[in-house]
Amino acid sequence: MASNLGLDVAFSVANASSTAAAEQVPLIAVTSTTEKRKSPPPDTPENIHTRSLVILSFWIVVISVGLPLWWITTAIYRAPLPLKEMQSWADGRACRAEFPLLIDVEAPSLPDPENLLKTVQHALDDANDFSAHHLRLRLSTNASRSSPEEEGEIVAATLRLTPGPAGSPHSYNLAPSSRVIDLFYSPSYSPSTGLSAFVAGTLREVFAEEQQMISYLLASSTPSPSPAPSCSTSNGNNGVGKVSTADITRKMSRIVRYSPTYHLTFSLFTATGLPSSWDVEHAISEYLQPLLDALGGISTFTVDSQIQFYASLSSSVVPTWAPGPEGDEGNGQWVLKKEDLSSFINSAEWPLVSITSYPTINFIIYIPSKEQSPLVISDSATNAFLLPQWGGVMVLNPNSGHSNEERTSHLSKEALKPALDLFAAQLLALLGAPTHPSSLPIRLDSLTRQRSAELLVSASSTLGSLYRLTLALPSISIPSSVSASVASTLSSLKNSCRELKNGRFGGEGGALEEGKNAAFQAERAFFEKSMVGQVYFPEEHKVAVYLPLMGPIGVPLILGAGKEIARLVRVWKAQRGGTMPGQL
Amino acid sequence: MRLPSPLRPAGSLLCLLSLAAAALAVGPGKHSSYAENLLLKTLPGNSVLASFRFVSNGTFDNHHSIFPRSLAQILHASRTKELHLKFTLGRWDASQWGSQIWDGRTAGGTGVELWAWVEASSDAEANARWTTLNNALSGLFCASLNFIDSTRTIRPVMSFQPDGHHSDDALARLHLLHGTLPREPVCTENLTPFLKLLPCKGKAGISSLLDGHKLFDAQWQSMSIDVTPVCEGEGEGEGETERCQLQMVQTVDMVLDVERSLRKKDSVIPKPPPIEHMACDPDKFYAGGDSCFPLDHVSDLPWSLSGMFGRPIRGSCPLARVPGVEPVHVCASVPDERPIFASAGGQERRQGDNLRCFVLEENQDFDIILPLQSPPLPLPLTAPPLHASRSFTGHGQEHGGVQAVLHNPSLDRAVDFVYLESLPWFMKPYLHTFSAALTDAPPTHPKIVQEIYYRPALDRRRGTQLEVRMRVPPNATAIVTYDFAKAVLRYTEYPPDANRGFDIAPAIISVLSRENDGSYRTTFSVRTTSLLLSLPTPDFSMPYNVIILTSTVMALAFGSIFNLLVRRLVGAHETGGLGLLGRVRERVAEVVARLGRRGKEKVL
Repeated sequence: MASNLGLDVAFSVANASSTAAAEQVPLIAVTSTTEKRKSPPPDTPENIHTRSLVILSFWIVVISVGLPLWWITTAIYRAPLPLKEMQSWADGRACRAEFPLLIDVEAPSLPDPENLLKTVQHALDDANDFSAHHLRLRLSTNASRSSPEEEGEIVAATLRLTPGPAGSPHSYNLAPSSRVIDLFYSPSYSPSTGLSAFVAGTLREVFAEEQQMISYLLASSTPSPSPAPSCSTSNGNNGVGKVSTADITRKMSRIVRYSPTYHLTFSLFTATGLPSSWDVEHAISEYLQPLLDALGGISTFTVDSQIQFYASLSSSVVPTWAPGPEGDEGNGQWVLKKEDLSSFINSAEWPLVSITSYPTINFIIYIPSKEQSPLVISDSATNAFLLPQWGGVMVLNPNSGHSNEERTSHLSKEALKPALDLFAAQLLALLGAPTHPSSLPIRLDSLTRQRSAELLVSASSTLGSLYRLTLALPSISIPSSVSASVASTLSSLKNSCRELKNGRFGGEGGALEEGKNAAFQAERAFFEKSMVGQVYFPEEHKVAVYLPLMGPIGVPLILGAGKEIARLVRVWKAQRGGTMPGQL
Repeated sequence: MRLPSPLRPAGSLLCLLSLAAAALAVGPGKHSSYAENLLLKTLPGNSVLASFRFVSNGTFDNHHSIFPRSLAQILHASRTKELHLKFTLGRWDASQWGSQIWDGRTAGGTGVELWAWVEASSDAEANARWTTLNNALSGLFCASLNFIDSTRTIRPVMSFQPDGHHSDDALARLHLLHGTLPREPVCTENLTPFLKLLPCKGKAGISSLLDGHKLFDAQWQSMSIDVTPVCEGEGEGEGETERCQLQMVQTVDMVLDVERSLRKKDSVIPKPPPIEHMACDPDKFYAGGDSCFPLDHVSDLPWSLSGMFGRPIRGSCPLARVPGVEPVHVCASVPDERPIFASAGGQERRQGDNLRCFVLEENQDFDIILPLQSPPLPLPLTAPPLHASRSFTGHGQEHGGVQAVLHNPSLDRAVDFVYLESLPWFMKPYLHTFSAALTDAPPTHPKIVQEIYYRPALDRRRGTQLEVRMRVPPNATAIVTYDFAKAVLRYTEYPPDANRGFDIAPAIISVLSRENDGSYRTTFSVRTTSLLLSLPTPDFSMPYNVIILTSTVMALAFGSIFNLLVRRLVGAHETGGLGLLGRVRERVAEVVARLGRRGKEKVL
């Protein structure tokens, strides 16, 4: 049997390291196994040396050529981003926004205006719980009034103190179209009558809503702000005309996101084929255009209008019939409940979408069919409602006044006036203008400041999102345009913050304009197309591509290296132990 | 078979209907007006052609009433001055039904076809606006129009002329772009937005008949939208711009099979009719008993509007008014001998031979009923100026050919036309193989090809555009052929169902008439059917197979070289070891030997 096996011509393959191991313990190997086994003859040291060099050179090629090649061909370009700075903006640490308002005081007939001013300023500063927004009084002289431009300071409002009729208490009056607050003090003025407290109260009242809104905006952006909105409610008793936090939240939630341009669509939806025309073009230019012009410093508007006939309400909206008082059928009306209003817009059928790239605000006049007239909204004096961040709706029942034929086929400019007046008010609410002071210029100024704050906050939070995105997705590529946009955003944010501190809110290079640019650039960086496209690169895909090559090549390389290292370790141990040093 | 006369009897009808449209165009200074009209026409073979036509006029400014705001916005944003959009399904059978309605101007090729005149100062700008237009229309009509990219866009030179009024300076800045999607399935989701553009929205007027289930059950159907600027009067007078209007003509044409529509009404499941209801051919030898060879067209079946469309017309649309003209809402082009019973809610007006029209009232349902007519009374048919068909020739995965047969049925007039092919880049025609010849022409006959405009394809960037102006003499048939090569696509360029083939857009044939100033104008359009081109398809798991195969080869080569270099080979006799194989053999031999011994013991 053994002779049979001896005829076999098979080679037993022993590798270098096992040979070395066999060489070191030849006697033990022979004695412990069967006597048929015989260790192969020892390899020459030159061979062992060459083999080490071969393995080493393979590894050198793999590491110096293979790996860099692989790295270069599969690397994702990531432009450097100022991550620290982005994070500090996102956390609200980079800029502490301030809104200093300058108030001119005219008191030609007051005996000691400086003293009064000091007391009022004190009272204002004491009562102010939100230090970023503060009022500064300045006694107006003729000189300062004549050259307000040179100083570069913008006056938020002018307080004119004039003596009122004898015997009357202090009172104030705010004209709807000017920034002048006319304050009539009692002629029996003495410091003890509390004129200073009244002046301070008046000013606080005028700017209370704006202050609250801005503090709400800034508070929502930073997790640990100094002026938490809850503070204002606790101090609410001393502030005149303060609104509850819930109210502010409600107001803020319906504001449309800021955009430099809005598209306004006026739609007439009628349940039948009548009226077939309306004089909306003239009505808009007469009743609404002045407001749009006034708002021009903040946003611009494009306007269009449409009539949609045979517009049906969605099936979920079913008005209920409510007979008139004493069951009088003639005075009865169809009533829309509050729950119906949320689904009033039949978005499946009403063509309200615009293709403009900027947001659209819709204003809708709905005319019910004859069978459903009059249609009223329960508990609504205006028969209208506002859809947060979307637009306004008014249900119009054309009834009184005109003859039947006239009424049904054409809506005149005059008939549209109440609707457009209402839409103007709704537009201001949607844009976020405070409702309180009756003066439009002051409200628009407030809106400018508020929008600046909003842009600051939104640009910062976009930067924060981009910051988190780049950290969360290491495989995403970042083109250099993103880094440029981020740089531009940061510089605009800095400028905006500086302009806020200087009190330059609107106008060329003002805080609003810088904020616009910041928000625009931040959005552009975040929504960079090439970044979105490369987010998805599944790991399984990589495995499927790499494994067939890397596996079969990597295994012998690693095993070879492992054995070589094991041999070196053994040789090194043997050298240290001093046994058989002559082997190498 | 009747011989077609060059003067079409239906011409009077078309004149009448276009008169209403023309009256609209030159209506009073009112901004917006609207008219709608339904034409019903009996066709041979128990088919009925229903042609809906809606004309809306609007202003160019931002205040819209009749003209839909959504479309006006798109036209404004893409600076499109004139737009033609067609959705078509099925094939118009010209040999049976005669000349196409509206001279074929409203119907497009199978799928979706779009062409527009876009105002731009350069080609690049025009392309950008064209993309904007396609994307916006795609959203508006729920169609894949956004897939009309540069490879599917051509710029025809001879086939199309603007229909609207454009001043000469404006014309110089207009770019004509044309795109087709032959594969697009036209369906209800395209009809719904189409109806939304109408002022009465399918709730009143003739549009209340339009229902996706019936419309897309038709043998042939086409929806089209044509937007053109229409100006009052010709020439450049002062205040001319004020009298210009934006006019949109929407049409829905369909050929309904009466038998099929009525059968569907009776039962949803198709069942063969009982034998006593069938008209059998008694001349067959097996006739009688339970055998029947059904006869075609023994009678004109009775039909009604509510039977065919599932509902009557819900009164007239109150907006469809043209001041000074009495509106005619429904017209039936039916032989005078055949009675028509109309329901209340409509007054009949007889308007010439074989044409009866009805004026509808508001808020009152209207229906017409045509009784059974036996023997059938066909209307005189009009032959189209040209019959066209196109097919593939050749075989194999590499080459192919196209053959188009163009027949002029007229006995006395030659026909001039432009044959336009818009081919995808992966179908590469060889222009030197292009030939156009009459089937039985004497060798002395002048060439029928008069002008060729050819723009070759660029791989993955644009398709081939081939326009050929031809003249076919009376009662002659021309055959156009050319060969092409099929390109091999990249792995990712194949659609999900690559083995189905690639749709090739229909050829567009525009019949021309010569104007006084020597220029040509399209008077009639014919589309051939689309073609299905099969390209060699690869095995789609190929990339991974290739990766694995090459990796294995490389790994094998690497492994053996590496092993040879780093392993030491020793002869078996030098070690004396048996190795694994030897040991296994030894053990097997031992077991065999033992078994053999036991066997011997048992025998013993």
